Amino acid sequence: MLDFLQAVSDGVLFGATYALIGIGFTLVFGVMHKINMAYAAASVGGAYCGLLVLKVMAGAPAWLVFLGAFAAGGVLGWMVYLTCFHFIPLSSPLATLMSTVGMLLLIDEVIVHVTNGMPQNYPLMFDDVMLRAGEFTLRGDLLLVFGVSVLVMIGLLLLLYHTRLGLATRAVSQQPVAAQLCGIRLVRVNALTFVVTGLLGGIAGALIGASVGMLSPLLTLPLTVKGLIVTVIGGLGSVPGAIVAGLLVGGFENVLQLYRGVTERDLYVMLLLFVFLVFRPGGIFAPKSGRD
Amino acid sequence: MLELKALSRHFGGVRAVDGIDLAVAGGQIFGLIGPNGSGKSTTVNVITGLLPPTSGTILFRGEDIGALPTHLRLRAGIARTFQNIRLFGQLSVWQNLWVAQNSAEDRARQGFFARWLGGQGGVREEIARLLEFSGLAHKQDELAANLAFGEQRRLELARALAARPKLLLLDEPAAGMNSEEIAQLRDRILKLRDTGITIVLVEHVMELVMGVTDRIAVLNFGQKIAEGTPAEIQAHPAVRKAYLGGEAA
Repeated sequence: MLDFLQAVSDGVLFGATYALIGIGFTLVFGVMHKINMAYAAASVGGAYCGLLVLKVMAGAPAWLVFLGAFAAGGVLGWMVYLTCFHFIPLSSPLATLMSTVGMLLLIDEVIVHVTNGMPQNYPLMFDDVMLRAGEFTLRGDLLLVFGVSVLVMIGLLLLLYHTRLGLATRAVSQQPVAAQLCGIRLVRVNALTFVVTGLLGGIAGALIGASVGMLSPLLTLPLTVKGLIVTVIGGLGSVPGAIVAGLLVGGFENVLQLYRGVTERDLYVMLLLFVFLVFRPGGIFAPKSGRD
Repeated sequence: MLELKALSRHFGGVRAVDGIDLAVAGGQIFGLIGPNGSGKSTTVNVITGLLPPTSGTILFRGEDIGALPTHLRLRAGIARTFQNIRLFGQLSVWQNLWVAQNSAEDRARQGFFARWLGGQGGVREEIARLLEFSGLAHKQDELAANLAFGEQRRLELARALAARPKLLLLDEPAAGMNSEEIAQLRDRILKLRDTGITIVLVEHVMELVMGVTDRIAVLNFGQKIAEGTPAEIQAHPAVRKAYLGGEAA
């Protein structure tokens, strides 16, 4: 029983990073009704860029690396928008899907090339802290992952629900035509959505790197798949859905890792997706439609 | 205020709008009528920039706006409402009005905090005034999707006004309204005209059009078949033919 609880809590804490990745997919889908397949790869790319801080300034504190990853994620998000969306006809449903798959592969290749395919160590924070309650423990680094993720999510929700930019973004996702007729510049909202999701992705990538202790190009594909699963389970376009689904998937996979091992674990995650697709295809929070 | 010169919009072989000339003077309420499919909505879509014209020019306050994207036409002073309501359903009434404050004057005048966080600088006062005008003050925190039909129509009008338009295009604002609501709408339209807003009214409900407009143009098959005062239009033989079918009286 204790093992089970331990696995759930560790998994849920780590699941916060899945939630961030899921939010990235879901926000872009909500605003543009497009899937950005390059999102998880760009997030990992942002985390790699964070390591450049260590190149410039040896012995820089870990939080500075995280900050670098955060900023680099935003820049990468904007670049993905420019290369995969801005100049590509949005009326064709497949065009941007293919361009973002191409971008995913490109980012992957660049990472492999620059690092010679070797995993890179990622700086840790609070990895020596351990909260105990009898046998039950809370790892300090996972608490950091969770805490930072929650802060970032709160920031995002404040932005989306209480600032004009956020309301304009939601207006575009609900009624793109009417939004233009209210003087909202669609292209700008689209680009800013990519920058904001990129920032989230950069920090998510850095947190994943920190909690695993290293980054490897092998992370991008599984993270893409997991992000998409979280998005679908949460409900395409729903930010609260992505948060809940991210924590759910994190806890779920860690429990199955405990009982069935790491090699089998993802099978059950797929099974969870299957169950949702069959019984609740709209996801946990299927967003209300009403878009033209 | 608004001038269309030989404006055309074709969809493949269909000439939805086919060489229309129109001149709407400032301060007028201008009616645009015609049978279903006569090109009224297409004309409004071309004026607001949702559709590019196939040919012809659109002058707004003497300037050619044919190349401006939709959001810049709004900022220049052209706002509209829709035949089928398109509110931001998951935003509150207040928020619907806030995101629509995009006129060039507001953008220039409002400071950072007023603009992005909804603080001072006349933002709240202006929204309160619009809520008052449309009788929605008590519903300001309600989600737009939860409003009754008539309230949604009033909110859509208020949202268009939030952009401080100089020209307001109303696309069938009376659709689905009972005669009491139409009377209220008519009062609102007249009040707006008195504040100096030029109004183009696209409408089927003749009770409203004939009672409120200064001038009317009639479209049929994408062409203007008549223009004049309401009395002239009612007596016009080509109009009777278009509406009633058959031979001209």
